[in-house]
Amino acid sequence: MSLDAMVAYVVERLPELWLRTGEHLMLTGCSTLAAMFIGIPVGILLFRATYLRGLLMGVIGILQTIPSLAMLVFLLALLKKIGVLPALIALTLYALLPIARNTLTGLEEVSAEVMEAAQGIGMQEYQQLMMVRIPLAAPVIVAGIRTAAVVGVGIATLSAFIGAGGLGQFINRGLALANIKLILLGAIPAALLALVVDFSIGAFEWGLRPERKRDKKGSVQSLMRRLAFMLPVALVLISIITYFTKPGWISKSATQLKTGHRIIRIATKNFTEQLILGEMMAQLIETKTDLIVERRFNLGGTMICHGALVNGEIDLYAEYTGTGLTAILKHPVISDPEEALNHVKKAYHERFDAQWLKPFGFNNTYAITVREADAKKNEWNRISDLGNTAIELRAGFTAEFAERPDGYPGLRQIYGLQFGEVRDFDPALMYEAMAKGEVDVICAFATDGRIAAYNLKPLKDDRNFFPPYHAAPVIREEIMKTHPKLGDVLSLFGGLIDNATMQRLNFEVDGKKRRTAEVVEEFLKAKGIL
Amino acid sequence: MIKLTHVSKTFDGGRSYAVKDLSLSVDKGETLVLLGSSGCGKTTTLKMINRLIKPTKGVIKVGGKDVMDHNPVDLRRQIGYVFQGIGLFPHMTIEQNVEIVPRLLGWSIRSRRERMQELLNLVGLPAESFAERFPDELSGGQQQRVGVARALAANPAYLLMDEPFGALDALTREALQQQLLTLKNQLKKTIVFVTHDLHEALLIGDRIAILHEGNLEQIGTKKDILDMPATKFVQDLFAIKRPGTLT
Ligand SMILES: Nc1ncnc2c1ncn2[C@@H]1O[C@H](COP(=O)(O)OP(=O)(O)O)[C@@H](O)[C@H]1O
Ligand SMILES: [Mg+2]
Repeated sequence: MSLDAMVAYVVERLPELWLRTGEHLMLTGCSTLAAMFIGIPVGILLFRATYLRGLLMGVIGILQTIPSLAMLVFLLALLKKIGVLPALIALTLYALLPIARNTLTGLEEVSAEVMEAAQGIGMQEYQQLMMVRIPLAAPVIVAGIRTAAVVGVGIATLSAFIGAGGLGQFINRGLALANIKLILLGAIPAALLALVVDFSIGAFEWGLRPERKRDKKGSVQSLMRRLAFMLPVALVLISIITYFTKPGWISKSATQLKTGHRIIRIATKNFTEQLILGEMMAQLIETKTDLIVERRFNLGGTMICHGALVNGEIDLYAEYTGTGLTAILKHPVISDPEEALNHVKKAYHERFDAQWLKPFGFNNTYAITVREADAKKNEWNRISDLGNTAIELRAGFTAEFAERPDGYPGLRQIYGLQFGEVRDFDPALMYEAMAKGEVDVICAFATDGRIAAYNLKPLKDDRNFFPPYHAAPVIREEIMKTHPKLGDVLSLFGGLIDNATMQRLNFEVDGKKRRTAEVVEEFLKAKGIL
Repeated sequence: MIKLTHVSKTFDGGRSYAVKDLSLSVDKGETLVLLGSSGCGKTTTLKMINRLIKPTKGVIKVGGKDVMDHNPVDLRRQIGYVFQGIGLFPHMTIEQNVEIVPRLLGWSIRSRRERMQELLNLVGLPAESFAERFPDELSGGQQQRVGVARALAANPAYLLMDEPFGALDALTREALQQQLLTLKNQLKKTIVFVTHDLHEALLIGDRIAILHEGNLEQIGTKKDILDMPATKFVQDLFAIKRPGTLT
């Protein structure tokens, strides 16, 4: 990509970049401040109450080791909320350890001799703490805050998983769409931000050093020292300004006020197909109703989307029957598509006040896939056709498929298949390996754009082994009641997209790197729906 | 007046004693020197006087009142303490270090400032050039003088000085000793002065208490001790080493 094109790419997205940077700074800043207000007193408490140290530091340490995504999901379940609040809480919990630990260490490291002098000249205990121990520990405490803030900038990129925005939004979208430019659009500013935060708090730390205090008034050093103290303050001010001047903030809240409850919030999980389906539903609703659509796309997975729906944080997203059945309802696999749909319909209505609408038509299940040329040569159409030749074939599976009972283990049992060699791959690499001829059989997703692009052939599951994964809009019944028209509008999608169509749409976005909104609009117009 | 009666201190539950059955008194306006080699319990004795350490046994009275009946913070504010390791506050200027006890006592800013200037001049560190410096910008000797000024700041009736001139070169030490002698005569304070230097003890003390392995070997004036050594230890000390240093 030429420099001009690169600049144009960024300039075009400047308003959103501004918005996401503001959100990012706000998330990091608020959580670091909150962690200071909790962590420093905790550090002081632990310093005084030795017997609490093991326990509390242990608890804080364990919090730190919880994977960020698990933490977010857990908070979501606890708070019944997506968005900024759980993100802030998670970030604060992560920032707590470095701050509390450095406070404790800093206080402990103050020389015993100096503290004995403080006591010996007649300072009260709190005076010893406030006048001597804390000032002397300050550089170490600030170092802890610095670590927390810098790490916080990094972790804040995960907030996008639960719809809290921030630069992670670009990264998420980029990951979902396998679009490196988008990933960089989030990652580079985030890295720069980390450097800026590191530098400004580092400058503050430098200004705190004892030897800085002796810089003569009016000297260059003393001027720099003052500047150094102002840097973090300036950073906080800039965050606030950026956050509140983010484009659309004023106008958007104005429309919200005017339109009241006439908003529908649509969510998606974080992969291409979901983004396409979300965008489709959004565009359709925007043209066919007077509802305002709020896109809360790219949430970090099934549990987050489902939790948000149940808690009324979002109104609509596309779910797969198999996922609803096994992951949400913890029900055993039902191989009949009709029966599976009826089951989730009933259970969602009874348990979640949510409604499954007409499925889009395609079935995004696992598909045992071979090269088209091989299929022709060997007359492979169904999985059973592999039969005894399987032992001569090399299989490439994702680690998950290799382990799941509805993956290779079950497949072996039902079809009596035994491949000669099985290798584990990352999903993206699995297709590459197939294209390069390093493996002969893979476990593709039936709607993956690469199936068509790489001239692959999914084999028919003639013994109905793989559970059906038909996608359908799932919507909160409450919003269906206030806007009954929604049901009719969304049913326009019923059976509209078959596997081949979904493969193609996925490939337009994934493979050709086109904009989701553009691809969706083109498709809907071609179908005469828009 | 400071009075110790049968004071003992053990740090290890009685297996060994840092101070053993020590009785002595320091009269008002008198300077008593505690002389002894390193580890014989001098610092421990001083710390027990201002309650930094609690005696295992015995009674210590300051101004006629048992120290255990004093509020420890008030007690310490009445007693100037020059610490063996100096213990200046590294984040405070010389001015702030000297002013600290008056500040704790709630003196006005003006009287604090006047006092600070007076004291820095007294210990030979003119305020104009030293007040705004930080401790680590001063030489060891200058820091020890600041330590003395800090101890004197609130004009305490009692002064505890723990090897205040230790670890200094001979010239500086002599200058400071002379200064202390002048101060002592001017200020009329009750002073307990700790040293392991024979010469210093003889120079400064009105009376000298000789400690050895936690025991009091002899207490008396310079004349008493030189003329009538009470124990063999004292006799040897002055016979061999005069005027020298115990180590
Ligand atoms: N806090 C303490 N814990 C244990 N032992 C101590 C402590 N302070 C002093 N001691 C011991 O008590 C003895 C006397 O110490 P100290 O009073 O500091 O001696 P001096 O000041 O005469 O050199 C030494 O053996 C020393 O190791
Ligand atoms: Mg000592």
